[in-house]
Amino acid sequence: MNYGRELLKGNTDSLLLCLINRQPTYGYQIVKELEKRSNGYFQFKEGTLYPALHRLEQDNLITGKWQVLPNGQQRRYYYITERGQQVLARRLATWQDFSTAVKSVIQAETT
Amino acid sequence: MISNISHYLNRFKASLKIDHTVRDGVAEELYTHLEEKTQELEEKGLSTEEASEIAVKSLGSPELIAEQIYEAHAQGSWKEAIFSALPHLLVALLFTSYYWQNIIYASIILALTVGIAIYGWGRGKPVWLFPWLGYYLLPVVISGILLLSLPEGWGWIAALIYIPLALFVFIHIVRQTARRDWLYASLMLAPMLVTFAWFSSLGKGDELLASDWAARLQTNALWIVVSFVALAAATIAFIRVRPRRYKIISLLIPPLVVLFAVVTSSAGNICAWSWLLLLFSLSAFALPLWMQARAYE
Repeated sequence: MNYGRELLKGNTDSLLLCLINRQPTYGYQIVKELEKRSNGYFQFKEGTLYPALHRLEQDNLITGKWQVLPNGQQRRYYYITERGQQVLARRLATWQDFSTAVKSVIQAETT
Repeated sequence: MISNISHYLNRFKASLKIDHTVRDGVAEELYTHLEEKTQELEEKGLSTEEASEIAVKSLGSPELIAEQIYEAHAQGSWKEAIFSALPHLLVALLFTSYYWQNIIYASIILALTVGIAIYGWGRGKPVWLFPWLGYYLLPVVISGILLLSLPEGWGWIAALIYIPLALFVFIHIVRQTARRDWLYASLMLAPMLVTFAWFSSLGKGDELLASDWAARLQTNALWIVVSFVALAAATIAFIRVRPRRYKIISLLIPPLVVLFAVVTSSAGNICAWSWLLLLFSLSAFALPLWMQARAYE
């Protein structure tokens, strides 16, 4: 089992909520943004993104709306909902605590 | 570009058994993704063919995405689940007493069923519709069978006109439902399975239509209620679980409960004709499940 992949799988929802919270965005832009912000660390089958987005939408954490761009192309933009913001805030707090605790243990181990 | 992407999207759509408007929306979303990625790769100097091939590959298996999208959309709300199970619970309630033999109560339930089934059919066939549709079709089928018991001559004339018409309606609805999803066809046929299974316990011919058939059926009221409650529970599970294989498992529970209930209530004293009818009902119900399992492979 790939540990990195498992970690990504367990945190995909939080990463997506985080990106959508920054600004409304669409599928392809999310893939690019994730790759850019993680310096290429997060690379996954792009198709797995859409089920995750639809799952978040079904849970009322985000909402998708079709928009027509000036060049006539259509994009489905995702917006975070109020409930999504609350869930994200809770997850970030949990993640901070978890990350601090893991760091403390690891640093103590390596020094 | 067209062939690679359209082939990919066709595979995706063929694998995704959800509401057509939702399915087409997701396909459109994937199309915009593929279109943008292809354009980006073309700008880097790749040919259209190469670019679209890479774009399609980076998206991953269309069947896998379809399965995951299905799971994201497959879970109905508790409201939908309860509303889907409601007709089974109403019938169970009727059998807790002699209400099912009361023409007024039976007519109210029938009118309610017909009204809700027509409303749901016209409103894009939501998942809660199918159990109601099963009860809507039940009188259509039973009327055809009863017509055959009319006095000689009249029965056959009525049947010759009615049965083809009823068959047309029945086949049309089953086909439309199966086209949407084979599992919905099983969900729809489930009330028929239970009804025919219990009628099969009455015997055949004159025995079946003897004047005391209702009283004989009422003696099994407890087991009949158990059958319909099991159907209601399976329907709720079907609506609420996400993975498709669990939905299939939930649909396999009612036939087993019904078979057990019919055999137990008749103390194993079932004639060959009843076994035939019982197994026919079970197989009619299981056919869509089998078709689904084949499509799954």
